Amino acid sequence: MKAFLKSKEMSVAVIILLLCIILAFISPVFLTADNLLDVVKGNAVLGILAIGMTLVIITGGIDVSVAAVTSAVCVVLGKTMMFLPDSPLAIVLIFVIAPLFGVLLGSINGILVAKIQIPAIVVTLGMMSIINGLVLYITNGQYLNSSNFPTVFLKFSNFSVFGISIIIWLFIITAALTWYILKYTLIGREVMAIGGNKESAVRVGINYSKVQIFVFSYMGFLAGIAAIAQTSYTKAVDPNGMLGLELMVIAAVVLGGANIMGGRGTIFGTILGVLLLGIIQNGLILAKIDTFWQKVFTGAIILIAVSYDHIQYKRSQKQLSKIEVEA
Amino acid sequence: MSEYLLQMLNISKTFPGVKALDDVKLEVKKGEVHALIGENGAGKSTLIKILAGVYQPDPGAQFFFEGKEAKIRRPIDATMRGISIIYQDLSLFPNLSVAENIYIGRDSDKHSWKKVDWALMEKTAKKALKELDFEIDVSTPVEKLSIAQQQMVEIARALAFDAKLIVMDEPTSSLSAGEVEKLYEVIFSLKKRGISIIFVSHKLKELFTVSDRFTVLRDGKYVGTYHANELTEEKLITLMVGRKILYEKNKEKAASGKTLLEVRNLAKEGNFKDISFELREGEVLGITGLVGSGRTELAQAIFGINRPYKGDIIINGQKTVIKSSEEAVKKGIAYIPESRKTQGLILRQSIINNISLPVLKKLKNKFLLINRRKEIELAEHYIQSLDVRPPLPYRAAGDLSGGNQQKVVIGKWLSTNPKILIIDEPTNGIDIGAKSEIHKLLRGLAANGMGIIVISSELPEVLAVSDRIIVMRHGRIAGELGIHEATQESIMNLALLGQKGKVREEAQL
Repeated sequence: MKAFLKSKEMSVAVIILLLCIILAFISPVFLTADNLLDVVKGNAVLGILAIGMTLVIITGGIDVSVAAVTSAVCVVLGKTMMFLPDSPLAIVLIFVIAPLFGVLLGSINGILVAKIQIPAIVVTLGMMSIINGLVLYITNGQYLNSSNFPTVFLKFSNFSVFGISIIIWLFIITAALTWYILKYTLIGREVMAIGGNKESAVRVGINYSKVQIFVFSYMGFLAGIAAIAQTSYTKAVDPNGMLGLELMVIAAVVLGGANIMGGRGTIFGTILGVLLLGIIQNGLILAKIDTFWQKVFTGAIILIAVSYDHIQYKRSQKQLSKIEVEA
Repeated sequence: MSEYLLQMLNISKTFPGVKALDDVKLEVKKGEVHALIGENGAGKSTLIKILAGVYQPDPGAQFFFEGKEAKIRRPIDATMRGISIIYQDLSLFPNLSVAENIYIGRDSDKHSWKKVDWALMEKTAKKALKELDFEIDVSTPVEKLSIAQQQMVEIARALAFDAKLIVMDEPTSSLSAGEVEKLYEVIFSLKKRGISIIFVSHKLKELFTVSDRFTVLRDGKYVGTYHANELTEEKLITLMVGRKILYEKNKEKAASGKTLLEVRNLAKEGNFKDISFELREGEVLGITGLVGSGRTELAQAIFGINRPYKGDIIINGQKTVIKSSEEAVKKGIAYIPESRKTQGLILRQSIINNISLPVLKKLKNKFLLINRRKEIELAEHYIQSLDVRPPLPYRAAGDLSGGNQQKVVIGKWLSTNPKILIIDEPTNGIDIGAKSEIHKLLRGLAANGMGIIVISSELPEVLAVSDRIIVMRHGRIAGELGIHEATQESIMNLALLGQKGKVREEAQL
C-alpha cells in the first residue's frame, strides 16, 4: 500500500483529482455523470490503443503506425459493412474481421522488428506512410457514410449496459483482458522481463523475437477493436480522422508512468494517463479556452514527467557505478 | 572419469584477430569449490561464457557433464542441465518480484498462454530461499534490494533449477566485509550438499578461504590445476604472471623536465581517494591496477568529464578547474578512451574526417567554411608521421586494422597539440606487432617533450612504456614504482595485496 502511494500512478491520480476540483469550480457542468461518461466515451479509442501501446513500450519498442492501422481497419469495416446482412451475425463478423486484419498488419511490424531487426520506429514509420497512402487511394479521401451501414450496427453503436455505452465497455474489457495477460500469462511476464533487462532475459532463455512479434501483433489486435469503437462512435469512416492520434496514444502511455526506454508500465497507469488527457481537453473546452492550449498543456506535462523520470534513472545509474574505496 | 562433474577439454576460442583461449582445460569435481584465476584478459570470462552456452568453442572441444558428453548451444541448455551462472552484473529483472526472478525461464518456448501460477511460483521461491536461510518478502521488486540480497536471489534461482554446478563470477566485488562472510557460509552449505562451485575472483585471500583447487589461466592458455595446499599467494601470483617476455622493458632514461601536471589529494566519492602524483615533461607515467580500481575514473576526472571531485589539479604550476572536455583540450590535455570503436572513432568516415574532427574550428576560412586543402594536409601529415597503413586518407577508418585505427585516434588527438596525453588501454584488441609499434610511438612523443599517462591492465605493456608506475587498488594509490625496481610480480603484489615487497597476510578484510 505504501509502495502504491509513492508510485507514479498515484502522482497522476493526484493531478487528475486536483484538476477535477479546479474544473468543478470553473464549470458546474464538469462534475456531472453525463459529462464524465462523455469524456471516457470520447477517449475510448485513444484508451484502447494506449493499452496496446503500453505493452510495446514496456518491451522498449514503439509503434507510430497505430493510428494508420486503425484507419485502415475502419476503411475495411466501412467497405465490408455494405455487404453484410442486417442481422446480429453482422456484429459477429465485424468482431472477427476487424481484429484479424489488425493482427495481420501488426504482425508485419513485429516480424520486421524481430527478424530483420530494424528499429521499431523505422519499421512503423514506414508502415504508417504505406497505410496512409493506401487508405487515401482506396477512399479517394472521402467519408464512408452510415447510410451504407446495416441498421444492426447502428443499434449496436447506441447500445448500453447499466447506462454505460458499449464503446466504454470495449475499453473496459480491453483493459481487463490486457491486465490479465500481463499478470497471469507466461507471455505477459516475458514482456515485463524483457523490458526489465533484455540481456538477462536472453540469458534465462526467453525467446526475444517471439515476444516482440507478440506485442506488435497484439497492438494490431487492439487497433482492430479500436476501429470498431471508432466506427461506432462516429458512425462514419473518415480516412483522415485519426491523423496524428499516435502521438496522443504515446503521450497517454508515458503520462501513465511507463518508461519510454522499457521495463516499466502498468495498465492502470495508462488508463489514468488517458483520463488525464481527456479531462484536460474537456476542461479547456468547458472553460472556453482555445483548444490549441490543450496541446501546449499536454506537451508541457509530458516533458516534465519524462525529465523527472530520466533524472531518477541517471541517479540510479550513478549508484551502480560506484567503486568500493578503502577507508 | 566419474570423479569429475564437469570436464571441459581442448577448449579454444578464436575471435576475429585474437585467440582468446588456446587449448584450455577445466575439470571440476563433485562438491568442490574450484577457483578459476588469471590476470585481466587471461580468458576466464570467455571460458565461463562457453560453459554458459553464450559462446561456442572452436571445433575439437570436448565437454562432459556428469560423465556424459554434453552439448551446450544456448544458455537454456546449460540451465536445464543444472549449470547456473551468476554473472558479476547479475541476471535479474529489476522490475519483477523476487519470486518471479527465481522462477523465470521455465517452459519458455512452448507455453506462451499458460497461466502463470503465482502460488506455485511463490512456493518455489520461498523453498529455495529457505534452503539458503535467507528471509525476504518474495513479492518485493528486486530493484529495492541491496546487491548482496540480489545475489542471494540469484543463488536461490540456481537452487530452484536444481543446479549441480554454480559459477560465481567475482561474487564479492560489490559486497561489504560482513556480506562476504555470509556468502562464504552459503558457499560452504552448498558444498556440503554436493553442489560444485566455480569461483572466479581476483582477491587471493578469499580464494584461499573458500577454494579446494585452483585452475590458473594465462594469456588464454592453461597453466595448471593445483590443490590449495600446494599453493601460496606468492606462488599463485608467479603462476598467473608467468615468465613471459613479450616486450623489452623500458630502459631509456626519462628527461626530467618541468612539471606539467600535478594532482593533489584528488578524491571523488565512490570512485577514488587520496590521489596525488605529478607528471613531468618528457615522461611516460604508467597507471595500472585491476579493472575497477578507479583508474579510468581518475583519468576522466583530470579530463573534466567526471565531476565534481575534491582536491586540486595543477597544470603548468597553475591551479585549474576543468569543467568540460573542451576546456581540457584548450589547456593542452588529450584523453584517448579505452574503446576506440565507440568513443574514439567515427568508423564510417574517412581518416581525414576523423583526424580533423577536434580542430575543425581552426580549419575554417573567413567564410566559415572548412578549408578542405588544409584538412587533407593535416591528415596526410599524421598518416606519414604515425605511419598509418595503408596511407590512404580517404579510406574509411573502419576499414583499417586495429593498430592503424589506434594510430588514427592518436593522430586525431595530436592535431590538438596536447602537452599532456592520457591514453586508456592503448593496445586493447591489437595484435602484438602493432602493439610494440604503438609503444614506440608513445616513447617517441615523450622524447619530444610531451607528458604521457598510460593506463593499462597489461603489465608487460606498462613495463615497456613507462618511466614510473602508479599502481591503484580499491580507488587508492597502492604504491609507486620506478621502472628500475618494477617487475610484473611487484606490480601484482601492489594491485592484489596492496603492499610492496614480500607477500604477507592481507591486512584488511
